[in-house]
Amino acid sequence: MRYMGVAAVWAYRFTLAPFLGVGQCKYHPSCSQYAIDAYKEFGFFKGTLLAGWRLLRCNPWSRGGVDYARDQRVFK
Amino acid sequence: MIVASPLQPLEDLLRHVLNALHSVGLPWAWSIVGLTIIVRMLLVPLTVKQIHSMQNMQAHAPQMKEIQRKYKGDRTKLNEELMKFYKENNINPAASCLPLLAQLPVFIGLFYTLRHFAKNPPGGQAAIDRGDFSWLHFVPDITKHANSHWSGYVLLTIYVLSQVASTYFMSGTMQKSQRYLMMILPIAFIPFILRFPTGLVLYWMTTNLWTVGQGLITRRLIPKVAPPGGPSPSGPKRSSRTPPKEPPPPDAVEPAAEVPAPKQSNAQPRRVKRKKKARR
Repeated sequence: MRYMGVAAVWAYRFTLAPFLGVGQCKYHPSCSQYAIDAYKEFGFFKGTLLAGWRLLRCNPWSRGGVDYARDQRVFK
Repeated sequence: MIVASPLQPLEDLLRHVLNALHSVGLPWAWSIVGLTIIVRMLLVPLTVKQIHSMQNMQAHAPQMKEIQRKYKGDRTKLNEELMKFYKENNINPAASCLPLLAQLPVFIGLFYTLRHFAKNPPGGQAAIDRGDFSWLHFVPDITKHANSHWSGYVLLTIYVLSQVASTYFMSGTMQKSQRYLMMILPIAFIPFILRFPTGLVLYWMTTNLWTVGQGLITRRLIPKVAPPGGPSPSGPKRSSRTPPKEPPPPDAVEPAAEVPAPKQSNAQPRRVKRKKKARR
């Protein structure tokens, strides 16, 4: 199940990302890499929530920076 | 269908906007161009932010080059160090995923709207015959697939060129291999894009051209102040983001030298508060 999430992110990377021109993320790792890490480490549902939350944080009013999925504080 | 249902409200909204633009007197094709321009104009405030942050980065270019040289082999480490550097120097990287992803629903919504148009065009066959869906006298029908007429290939060429150009402008600090991939992929997708409605190509072409135009203007606005090689002067470092930082210290320190210690401790928290306000 969790590899479905990873596969979905890869599918996004090779199909939609070039159309959108998402080339740079203010966070490290990038949002898509974060999603892959989150899926691998927390499974499909938590991974989706974490990735979604990360996308919402990745907005023009946030500060960006280094932020690994394993350092998340949503699920403890 | 699964994708379509949650996007139904958006599709309706897009159709309303298109209808409104059309009822003003614009042909359908120009309505799509108009819709694109509206979407991009809503994103302009973000561009202004982007210009600020690019100016800021320009001022720090020498140090960033130094970091890039230091961690040349290790890309992950390089990114991490760059992010740390941004944070230390109060640089807010311009690019963020959300505004770009926000365009995705518009894209998909427009895809469905145009597909709907193709199935049952408003006005029926008569409208198509009348040329309601034509554009600039050379695209006969924007609801048809791009490969149904030679004009589709013209639009496609412009689209690919504009896509490559806009990727070039967007990908500021992207790694080279990634940048090439982003430029090559649209070309690899041509067989699929050929089956898209021409109107969709029109939308993507317009939005790319807007990006290119914006990129050109942005480049003009950013003065190349960074001296090559030497350490950056502290002047531009402070001027752009934290102007109140400089005036308070002399005011706060001078009286502190005369008056006893307790007042000095009072002055310091006040300074911290001011800093926080300035940052917001």
